[in-house]
Amino acid sequence: MPEDLHVTLSPRLSKLHDLSAMVEEFGDEHGLPVAKVFVINLALDELITNAVTHGSFENASDPKIEVRLRVDHDILILTIEDNGSMFDPTIDTEPDTESSLERREVGGLGLHLVKSFADRVSYEFVGGKNRLTLEHDLKPASG
Amino acid sequence: MNIEVAEERDNGVLVLLPVGRLDSANARTFESIIMDHIGNGEQHLIVDFSRLAFISSSGMRVLLIAAKRLNASKGKLVLCEMQDHIHEVFHISGFDQIIPILDSRQSATAVF
Repeated sequence: MPEDLHVTLSPRLSKLHDLSAMVEEFGDEHGLPVAKVFVINLALDELITNAVTHGSFENASDPKIEVRLRVDHDILILTIEDNGSMFDPTIDTEPDTESSLERREVGGLGLHLVKSFADRVSYEFVGGKNRLTLEHDLKPASG
Repeated sequence: MNIEVAEERDNGVLVLLPVGRLDSANARTFESIIMDHIGNGEQHLIVDFSRLAFISSSGMRVLLIAAKRLNASKGKLVLCEMQDHIHEVFHISGFDQIIPILDSRQSATAVF
């Protein structure tokens, strides 16, 4: 049985390349479709970028992001915990995806993409940490 | 972080081929490459995705900025050769409504 992925990293964008390689290895071991591996790496890029660039860790003495990835009963489950300031990404507003090229706003898309691809998203703030869980079904829903 | 970007000319049109990942760690580098070309007078630009395995919203932001800039000077940005999962991201974002995405390099070149 392939192992779960469990990584603790400091919040820096330069960590994304190594992390993506680990996710790809996890995908190979679990026989995941390329599209699912892509979606997990997209979520990690967007969420870690969001945390780093919005200064969530300014008040943390030992800033850490903890990533867990596992497959349970045909569900791919990504959990991201961080000890930055409280931020619930599930209540973010919808970005502009419809206006013309001239009027289109630059930015605000990342969280929208993460939530659009996930089948279920949940957030909690526990023990001084943000914990976001994204679930992706590996088999299409029947019916 | 660096990103390798191959450059070609196809029927006179500049084609950029980013290689590997276009993410938040290297989007700024890609932005300066593409904006330098536009600043140097390139009006027509193709970004060929055939060597790109990954893009996040940071990379898409660069393409939106480039498309806006070219559009303002009556130029044009065209994208082509996208893998299905990357095309899905452009669809969810609504980018496929504002930036032309062609299946093949040949059809992208034919736009100009």
